[in-house]
Amino acid sequence: MGFVGNLGDIFKILKHTFRQVFRRPFTYFYPFEDREYPETTRGRHIHIRETCNACAACVRACPVAAIRIDKEDKKFEKDCALYFDYTRCLFCGDCVRACRYDALFHTPIVDISEGDREDLIYGPDKITTLDRDPLEWRGRRFR
Amino acid sequence: MSPDILDESSVIWFGPQHVSAHGWAAKLTIVGDYIVECDPNAGYFHRSAEKCLEFRNFRQGSMILERICMMEAFLAEYPYIAAVEKIVDLEIPERAKIMRTIMMEFNRIHSLQFWWGQFAGELGLFVMLLWPWVDREYSLDAFEELTGSRHTVSYATPGGVKYDFTPKFLAKMEKALTRVKDRMPVFEDMLSGSPTFRLRTEGVAHYTAKQALKWGLSGPNIKACGIPMDLRKDDPDPNLAYDMIDWEVPVINNEEHPGESDAFDRLLQRFKEIETSLDIIDKLLPLLPEGPIIDPKARSKANRLPEGEGYGRVEGTRGITTVWLKTMEKAQTPWRAKIRGPCFASYYALKHIVPGARFADFPAIFGSLDPYPGWWDR
Repeated sequence: MGFVGNLGDIFKILKHTFRQVFRRPFTYFYPFEDREYPETTRGRHIHIRETCNACAACVRACPVAAIRIDKEDKKFEKDCALYFDYTRCLFCGDCVRACRYDALFHTPIVDISEGDREDLIYGPDKITTLDRDPLEWRGRRFR
Repeated sequence: MSPDILDESSVIWFGPQHVSAHGWAAKLTIVGDYIVECDPNAGYFHRSAEKCLEFRNFRQGSMILERICMMEAFLAEYPYIAAVEKIVDLEIPERAKIMRTIMMEFNRIHSLQFWWGQFAGELGLFVMLLWPWVDREYSLDAFEELTGSRHTVSYATPGGVKYDFTPKFLAKMEKALTRVKDRMPVFEDMLSGSPTFRLRTEGVAHYTAKQALKWGLSGPNIKACGIPMDLRKDDPDPNLAYDMIDWEVPVINNEEHPGESDAFDRLLQRFKEIETSLDIIDKLLPLLPEGPIIDPKARSKANRLPEGEGYGRVEGTRGITTVWLKTMEKAQTPWRAKIRGPCFASYYALKHIVPGARFADFPAIFGSLDPYPGWWDR
């Protein structure tokens, strides 16, 4: 009885071990995959110059002076160029709330680390475009 | 204590690099295994938050406050908003009042879950460190769904709140709270039912209600002594919804030593706080009316404030949190801001509580007081 009982216990343990080996991991295989972020996520911004009115409400709303405005740089009739300094940004969302012309939004991209400090200052060319589609790059490729 | 004993003493710095000391430091004088003197040192986290507030306008100031204590971000930013609302007349909609209160209690549950895991981790129970933190993720997901940020919610603004409750958020909050309710008996059994845990906490860090009042402790640290001192009941904020419902102040009164508390009582007290918070949320959710979430004139009214003084206070997770503001005529920024954190008192109470304890009990002592370094350095 003792031997058979022990054997039963051993098989029970082996069952758990094998199940653990072939189970998918609980963690994400970052950076190749990531969890899904809600639409409201306050990630990096996107500036839509077509609708921008150069009112500088976002600049005044920013608590850490992370936004710089250049009103001379015009692509359309009324717009301006915005420079976002992500070394200072708190992602508090006040600039997006202050914008009355639907020209500034948050995107669900939250991993904006760079090797060089200068690369974190997003100029007008970088802030108006998404360099990658967040869903394409962080799709559930490994699951 | 005779001077001969002190001849054999040695001095050990607990922190700031120690893993359990979260960036703070205490100078301990030790004879054998016993601590004879404890000298807490503040200042490692000083970021001059009060001075920073003088350069931010009244809509921006709360962002500084919530970064002082990330775990209770909404409870930390609210006193500033309350102080602004004392200076300028704003009509807070009913819906916003209830939403603020629900969010406040939800944040309190999240903060207590964090503390509870951290306390167990400091005592060396690493499974108990991770289990409440897994539950905490559900709360964080709900915060993210509502506000877009996991910790620093930036939810309140003078005149109301920033984001409206969505069905998705309510579903996620329901999920998080159900999880807390389901797992509470398991955790109670694992912590308060565990002989190892009881041995490490019972009779450790003992103080009486009289001493607690003298040292200026507040929150769960004083409620564990049997004193029902709770700002939510004693001085309900007119812009919150605590007076709309019936609820009881959570108080632990141990029959073995009435009017006194040890580390174990404070653990039970914090369990009871979670139950009360769950109760308040359950009672407030059906009362949520339809309507606006912010005073329509809040933006223009909070732009320039009249001359005056505002004193906002709230019962935080760790105790009474207050902000005092002084403004001049047509002020865009406060002339002076003063923050009173709850943890300065509990941190310096270590000076009186620790002497006589064993060195191995030190994490249990400061863990049970729930100090958060941001609050005493600001």
